[in-house]
Amino acid sequence: MSTWSPYDMNGGTCVAVAGADYCIVAADTRLSTGFSILTREHTKVVTLSDACVLASAGFEGDRKQLHKVLGMRQQVFAHNHGGKPMSCPAMAQMLSNTLYFKRFFPYYTFNLLGGLDKSGKGAVYTYDAIGSYERTGYACQGSGQALIMPVLDNQLKSASPLLYPPVSSATPLTEAQAVDLVKDCFATAGERDIYTGDAVEIVVINRNGVRRETMPLKLD
Amino acid sequence: MFQTRNEYDRGVNTFSPEGRLFQVEYAMEAIKLGSTAVGICTPEGVVLAVEKRITSPLMVASSVEKIMEIDSHIGAAMSGLTADARTLVEHARVECQNHGFTYNESIPVLSVTQSICDMALRFGETGDDDDDDAGGMSRPFGVALLLAGWDPAEDGEEKTKPALYHTDPSGTFVKYDAKAIGSGADSAQTQLQENFKSDMTLVEAETLALSTLKAVMEEKVTSTNVEIACVAPKYKLYTVEQVEAVLARL
Repeated sequence: MSTWSPYDMNGGTCVAVAGADYCIVAADTRLSTGFSILTREHTKVVTLSDACVLASAGFEGDRKQLHKVLGMRQQVFAHNHGGKPMSCPAMAQMLSNTLYFKRFFPYYTFNLLGGLDKSGKGAVYTYDAIGSYERTGYACQGSGQALIMPVLDNQLKSASPLLYPPVSSATPLTEAQAVDLVKDCFATAGERDIYTGDAVEIVVINRNGVRRETMPLKLD
Repeated sequence: MFQTRNEYDRGVNTFSPEGRLFQVEYAMEAIKLGSTAVGICTPEGVVLAVEKRITSPLMVASSVEKIMEIDSHIGAAMSGLTADARTLVEHARVECQNHGFTYNESIPVLSVTQSICDMALRFGETGDDDDDDAGGMSRPFGVALLLAGWDPAEDGEEKTKPALYHTDPSGTFVKYDAKAIGSGADSAQTQLQENFKSDMTLVEAETLALSTLKAVMEEKVTSTNVEIACVAPKYKLYTVEQVEAVLARL
């Protein structure tokens, strides 16, 4: 007899790449459970401000709640701080605290936060389910992580965050090159991972604001 | 005078028929009895200077504390009932630490000022409704603050900026280039208005702050009966030697 669980695993893959003056956050739109596809067009990406986008894979219920909580915190912050939204690094710390406050009944989400820092440089923050986080140049989370991460490591390999003096972790690619790389990654992961497919939503953040585009993936 | 204010200056949250809250207005009067404090905001930083009333030669002057650090980038000068200021400063310090904990960045000066002013109006609440206002003040705070701080760069701006705010017992706050509070506030404010320039250096501001205090103080200015601090971009309280160096320039 199977016992009831408060969690489900709905799959999905997120990729984020930071450049010198842009950041890309992408996620597929498939929502699955077991061998079933629940829907083929469900976004995992939320735009929190002009400089901050979050993508999460894992359990859809927790993802939705987490995105709502952060959206609400963002609004309250703006009200309390002269109308200015949270910066991306501030949001990163706040997300970490939000996850850790549920240390013993965690949000079953694997998060990638992307955006621009105060100097306009691309920033990617990658998390575990209980809020441990790190700023990196690129990252991948979710069911296709094991398929995509080695490709990103091979193509981008950013400097170690431990280097002194610090070296920028941003990738050297142009925005267009990085978008192409992200598309290739999803097309490849979609071939092997049954939880990745249908379409990939790509959000590009740069000084002009936030732009969304979609590329179809295989439906099988 | 007391004819017109009959009854309506008893309750702290009862308007008079003319639409006034006398207890709040009396609290503002308490500030006019306080020692003078001035703040000057320049592009290089903010200077705070206060007068300390040393009423006895047996008093240890250094134990009178009228400028306090709120966070590493914010300081506060006070005038009025300085004991009341401790409650406000404590509240502001907690607010700063909370902001740092949650957002990993230093809090904007405006936000600290706002949170102090939120507290300023929490008097006269009964506190029996089990909310977090329980045990609040039964009267308005009888103190005005000058908050000097350093703000982060806004989006698209390269430069971070100094800021100076004034708060009073009514919970009103206003941003200033230069402001004086306390018993000598009126004439000190006139002096500041005449001598303030928007492109002053920090050194010029130190001199102006102290010469303004000198003009309104009854006693002779010494390194023991004034306190000076600056935020440029970190809060720093001046040592006796540093105060003497400013005095020497007057």
